[in-house]
Amino acid sequence: MSASGRKGVKAAIPFLLPSLIGALLFSVLPILVSLFLSITNWTGMSPVSLTRGFFQFVGKHFVGLENFKAILSDSEFYKVLSHNLYFIVLYLPSMLLVSMACALIINSPRKTANVYRVLYYIPVLTSWVAGALIWKWLLSPTYGPINNVLALLGIEGPMWLQSEAWAMPSIVIASVWKDMGFYAMIILGGLKSIGVEYYEAANIDGAGKTQCFFRITLPLLSSVLFYVIMLSLINAFQLFPQVMVMTRDGNAGPNGATMVMVERIYKYAFKYGKMGYAAAYSWLLFAVIMIFTVIQKKGEKKWVNYES
Amino acid sequence: MKARRIGAIGYQALAMFLAVVAIVPFLWMVSTSLKSSGALLALPIEWIPKNPTLDAYRRLFAVSGMPRSAMNSIIVTASAVVLTLASASMAAFALAKIEFKGRNAVFMLFVASMMIPTQVTFIPLYLIMNDLSLVNSLAALIVPYAFKAFAIFMLRQQMMNIPDAYLDAASIDGASLGRSFFSIMLPMCRTSLVTLAIITCMEAWNDYLLPLVLMTDSRNFTLTIILNSLSGQFKTNYDLLMAGSLISILPLLLVYVVAQKYFASGLQVGGIKG
Amino acid sequence: MKATRRLVLVAMVLAIAAFAVFASPVAEKTAEVVTLKMEQFSGSDATLSGDALRKMIAEFEAQNPNIKVELQTIGYTDYFTQLQSKVVGGNAADVFELNYENFVAYASQGALADISSYLGDTSGFNKTALNAFNYQGTQYGVPNSFSNCVMFYNKALFDKAGLAYPTNDWTWKDVEEASKKIMSLESGLWGFYRPLTFNEFYKGVGQNGGKMLSSDGKSFTVNTPENVEAARLMAGWQIDSHIMPTEAEMGGMGDWDLFKSGRLAMLVTGIWAFGDFTANCPFAWDITVEPGNTAKATHFFSNTYVVSATSKHPQEAAKLAQFLAGSKEATKLRVEASWELPPVTYSDIIESYLSITPPDNREAVFESLNYLVTPPTCVQQSEMQAIIDSYLSQIVYKKLSAQAALDACQKELEAKISL
Repeated sequence: MSASGRKGVKAAIPFLLPSLIGALLFSVLPILVSLFLSITNWTGMSPVSLTRGFFQFVGKHFVGLENFKAILSDSEFYKVLSHNLYFIVLYLPSMLLVSMACALIINSPRKTANVYRVLYYIPVLTSWVAGALIWKWLLSPTYGPINNVLALLGIEGPMWLQSEAWAMPSIVIASVWKDMGFYAMIILGGLKSIGVEYYEAANIDGAGKTQCFFRITLPLLSSVLFYVIMLSLINAFQLFPQVMVMTRDGNAGPNGATMVMVERIYKYAFKYGKMGYAAAYSWLLFAVIMIFTVIQKKGEKKWVNYES
Repeated sequence: MKARRIGAIGYQALAMFLAVVAIVPFLWMVSTSLKSSGALLALPIEWIPKNPTLDAYRRLFAVSGMPRSAMNSIIVTASAVVLTLASASMAAFALAKIEFKGRNAVFMLFVASMMIPTQVTFIPLYLIMNDLSLVNSLAALIVPYAFKAFAIFMLRQQMMNIPDAYLDAASIDGASLGRSFFSIMLPMCRTSLVTLAIITCMEAWNDYLLPLVLMTDSRNFTLTIILNSLSGQFKTNYDLLMAGSLISILPLLLVYVVAQKYFASGLQVGGIKG
Repeated sequence: MKATRRLVLVAMVLAIAAFAVFASPVAEKTAEVVTLKMEQFSGSDATLSGDALRKMIAEFEAQNPNIKVELQTIGYTDYFTQLQSKVVGGNAADVFELNYENFVAYASQGALADISSYLGDTSGFNKTALNAFNYQGTQYGVPNSFSNCVMFYNKALFDKAGLAYPTNDWTWKDVEEASKKIMSLESGLWGFYRPLTFNEFYKGVGQNGGKMLSSDGKSFTVNTPENVEAARLMAGWQIDSHIMPTEAEMGGMGDWDLFKSGRLAMLVTGIWAFGDFTANCPFAWDITVEPGNTAKATHFFSNTYVVSATSKHPQEAAKLAQFLAGSKEATKLRVEASWELPPVTYSDIIESYLSITPPDNREAVFESLNYLVTPPTCVQQSEMQAIIDSYLSQIVYKKLSAQAALDACQKELEAKISL
């Protein structure tokens, strides 16, 4: 039972090669360039070449850690970070619950499950430009159907995107709508790979549906769920298109309530002519995401079981 | 028995509620795309347009270069899917099943690459394409798909759940690593592969900013470039926007529905005892 | 087998290489014909402005048989992001369009070619417009259009309330009184719409006799008493007299849509609305010069065609830019397509513009030109606007008084923006 064929860098290289080359060229290299940019005061609006005189260019605009210092001493950074965290706290649990529900519904052997499978995925296929616009109208406090329906139920709907308190929750709602099918599909893959024999054995022992769910399904789904959480965390920190479309472009929401990290990065890079500053910002974002990911990875050993 | 009926009703209710939530915005999109320019924000809100018109679609299809750009999008998307599936599955295999020094480092590198927002690597990426003389070629849109950390991540996850025993058995039978990968690993990852095919398809089809910046020759435009060229400085043409989005979604939906057939029923086919 | 796998890899690489070849750009034309690449955003309507632009280009090519123009129209939302990338990569089109906001930034970064020596007779251009695209003494662009803001009013609502129509002499007080009378007719009506944003504020400041920058342009004068009063009065429309809906009350609806639905009596917006309102307003409407408080002040918006510093044919490019912006043929086409105002002083062009109705009172557009104020501009234009916008919104949201907000704004501007 030896695994000798599956050891050693020599064996791994042919499999890794295309991804590694792609990673180096289209991921690592741009990231390294952005690292250099973060220590400059480059506006992002003048011609630059990577092969001819790049390092002279860096030297010409060098400002050391100035950008980082400026960002960290501006209250704006902490404000947007808190907005991102607020989004995540609302979004993550809601998204997990809804996607799980969708996955379980689709997993049912009933014939209607196939229809639902397609319907739940339609939001995923919609572009954010269109999707966010639609939600902007749906959530319109005076003209949108959501408040009209709430009124029928006797509830006075909030001002949604026009209210400071409800702007971010509005974004969360739209985001959950868009992502539920996506994560549901991933969870579904996990559900489908749980061997039927576990449930059969449980049935024989007389276990009920809820017991099955919490004792069998969840634990065996743990690796998939871990992956989903990690992925959605990384994505959630990079919240952007829906904020741009749904809240008034200039100020990111009533009184800046939906101003988030990537929105700042985009504005500094492409609107305020402060590319170096934007690069530094994104490295700080990277650091934040990294911290959360490391914490999560530490939890992996405790919470996740892999079959092999 | 009663519990089961309540369960069934509960299931249907929840399922339908979620379906309504999923579908209603989409229906609004269809409705808006059929509205004549003036009526876009009439009050009270019109769900069914009073004078439905295909004007928006007509104007979109009248933009020159549509068929060619659609063809370009198809070429780019198909190639992107093939490239991602091939390279990501190979990399995932190495990371999941082959022990080598630095394996964790490589994996963390791949995952870390997902943490830098694209807004700031966009211009460096463009510069790299520029220096590689890839500007204005469809290849430039395809080659980045050789590395998709998300895909590698997902496939690795699934592969780690496949017992090593299968591979060991194969190697005892004299199969090479490549053979094991091809004939054993890949088929067992079918669900992830199909899922990824759909996701990559969607990403490549909807990709907008990079093609917009890279393609300077109109013969190389992709569909998204054409569909978005009509947004104005002072006015957003909602009907054009929605019609354009619908045109973009329908092929993806088709791919998705067709792909449903390929989802494995999920049972781990036995081959190993115990 | 290892061989099969290798074969698959090779096949993929070949396939990609094939596509690369398959999709490579067209070979350069012969030396006699110069091909110019042009990109723009303002002529985006597939039927009106887009058509007009194509006709203009056709006319130019007819008059210049050795020049061919390849036009790319890009949606406004992503236009500047992609333009910036191309400029950085040295791939900008020969001629491209900029708006007033971005002009200074690009000019200061050396992205634009000096076209002063290539421009022919520029006497036909409106002086203010032409000067707007002169940076530190060098002419970098030609204005291609000219827009300002006027006040639109709903004649039907005024008739219903038995009020006389607004005239060029109206002030903010007149607006408030008329609004109150109209709004008392029935519920759901609004009197006035003019949000407290940077664009409206620098104008409002002018309408109250103030300025945002010192005369030498070297320091900010944002929190002067006149400006504070202007801010207070303008915000008051929403939070005091309530003749204007707040953002929440708008509920995501656009101001144009509110006007077109017949529920808004007076709206301050740009003349580019003429086409849309003509087609979609089921009631009679007209325009007048914007009311001020102690003085009159009106906006100036302009887009420009510039030549890239990396263009290989700057002379031909400048020729194209000038033709599209200021030639008789091009400006005539522009007027016929109702595509904003041509930035020229030719009387026959102006006559033809005035003769198109609605609105009847097109003279108001030209009358407004007498009171032009240009916005404060600097290299960090967008950032400055964003800062000012954020403080103005705090006034409207009642977080800060006008005085406190403008004081804080002044401080932040002094700290972050260099003039």
